[in-house]
Amino acid sequence: MAKSYQEINEKIARGEAVVVTAEEVIGIVKERGVKEAAEYVDVVTTATFGPMCSSGAFLNFGHSDPPIRMGEITINGVEAYGGLAAVDTYLGATQPSKDRGIEYGGAHVIHDLIAGKEVHLVAKSQGTDCYPRTELDTWVKLEDLNEAYLFNPRNVYQNYNAAINGSSQRLYTYMGILQPNMGNITYSTAGELSPLLNDPLLKTIGMGTRIFFGGAQGHVSWMGTQFNTACPRDDKGYPQTPGATLALIGNMKEMDPKYIRGAVYEGYGASMFVGVGIPIPILNEEIMAFVAVENKDLYTNVIDYSVPKKAKPTLKKVSYAELRSGSVDINGKSIKTSPLSSLKMAREIAEELNNWIKKGDFFLQEPIQSFPMGNSLKGLEIKEGESR
Amino acid sequence: MMTKKILLSFPQKSAGQPMAMELIKTYHLDFNILKAFIDDNIKGTLLLEIKGEEADIEAGIVFLRQNQIGVKDIQSVVEVDENKCVSCGACTAVCAVGALEMTADWSLVHHDDKCLECMLCVKACPMRAIHAVI
Repeated sequence: MAKSYQEINEKIARGEAVVVTAEEVIGIVKERGVKEAAEYVDVVTTATFGPMCSSGAFLNFGHSDPPIRMGEITINGVEAYGGLAAVDTYLGATQPSKDRGIEYGGAHVIHDLIAGKEVHLVAKSQGTDCYPRTELDTWVKLEDLNEAYLFNPRNVYQNYNAAINGSSQRLYTYMGILQPNMGNITYSTAGELSPLLNDPLLKTIGMGTRIFFGGAQGHVSWMGTQFNTACPRDDKGYPQTPGATLALIGNMKEMDPKYIRGAVYEGYGASMFVGVGIPIPILNEEIMAFVAVENKDLYTNVIDYSVPKKAKPTLKKVSYAELRSGSVDINGKSIKTSPLSSLKMAREIAEELNNWIKKGDFFLQEPIQSFPMGNSLKGLEIKEGESR
Repeated sequence: MMTKKILLSFPQKSAGQPMAMELIKTYHLDFNILKAFIDDNIKGTLLLEIKGEEADIEAGIVFLRQNQIGVKDIQSVVEVDENKCVSCGACTAVCAVGALEMTADWSLVHHDDKCLECMLCVKACPMRAIHAVI
């Protein structure tokens, strides 16, 4: 029996929708079977809370008197883009500050703004006939801004590599600190709770899907960058390597600083921990079968990050159940595994989204456009010659 | 007998005085110097593991405080700020002795007695929630 978005939303409005997390649903499907579970459950909530570098905020400061066309802009010492209109800017999460470097970057400014803190805005301009001011130095809060919204070009990776270091030197990477001589393995996933692993073929997640985004209700705005739906898959359709990604949008003024945090990867750079929850409507049995996936059936590759090439060697294909067990055997050696994204916080987000839906505060939005399957990645060719 | 880790901070004027000797002579305490340094302002810091009768340890600490020496109980040289920690697990990747590990429900737990003070976790923490006490 198929259900429509409208039918599920009507159930949510009546307070009758059955909403469970992607972890809870596994037991329900085992107990009742896919067919019965698909009739019983209306929405499955998925979530993740991990480092997502490709993130940032569009801000509009409002006009000063006399007005300025902001060129060089810093916020708490972090440079923001000055190539938009007079008082618009984009602040990237990984931009380091001029004084504190990666210890305080764009993501930290974004967190501080969401936390209601005052930030130091400095801007310079050449001065124009219509925007005569050439310098500006002031303090602003989120509530003082006209608009402030996160627009993250690439979040919630559908699967990601696990990392190992085959060299004799310690490596400082975006996958954390990797100890020499294959001393440890790191991985970053919410696994069976992860949004895009529960909808591997993007049957329900598309442009316009309403989501939990940093504590606010946001939307999927586009396919994410490096969108790779042509990735290798298992026979059921689950990606075995990094696959789809999403571009997300949401109002910073409605966000909670708990779910958007500045992060520092030693020797690498600043990043942002982003909390995302995506509801999956159980429209039919096919979708129910997808969300019933378990860590033991989701695979990724252990990649040697010591090889300074784009194509790094794969040492082993492993399941998320193996990674979660605490160690993985490689060439007869037991190697410790550690997570980089917070499953504890992801569970909290899945529960929170669950509560919103049960209380009738959150309704499902059917995608206004599906994303393409079979989309592959291009590399960048380095071409010789000074002029062409 | 009991064993305890304490962190002593010596003000500028006390640096150079043999205060710790008194702990042995007067209060019959054994101690192990785990770390010692004097900073650019000639303020001294001494991390001791002291062993003795509980009453002697308490009296020794009173003596030190009377001489304007700061005394702080230390479980471990690193502290995890629970308000900042998100239990991501990045610190557990570098903790070779399991002093930092994930519990069954994927919260971070800090077994401070296991810490070998390599301090790598301080660098590994993306939230900068782990800081060195000394």
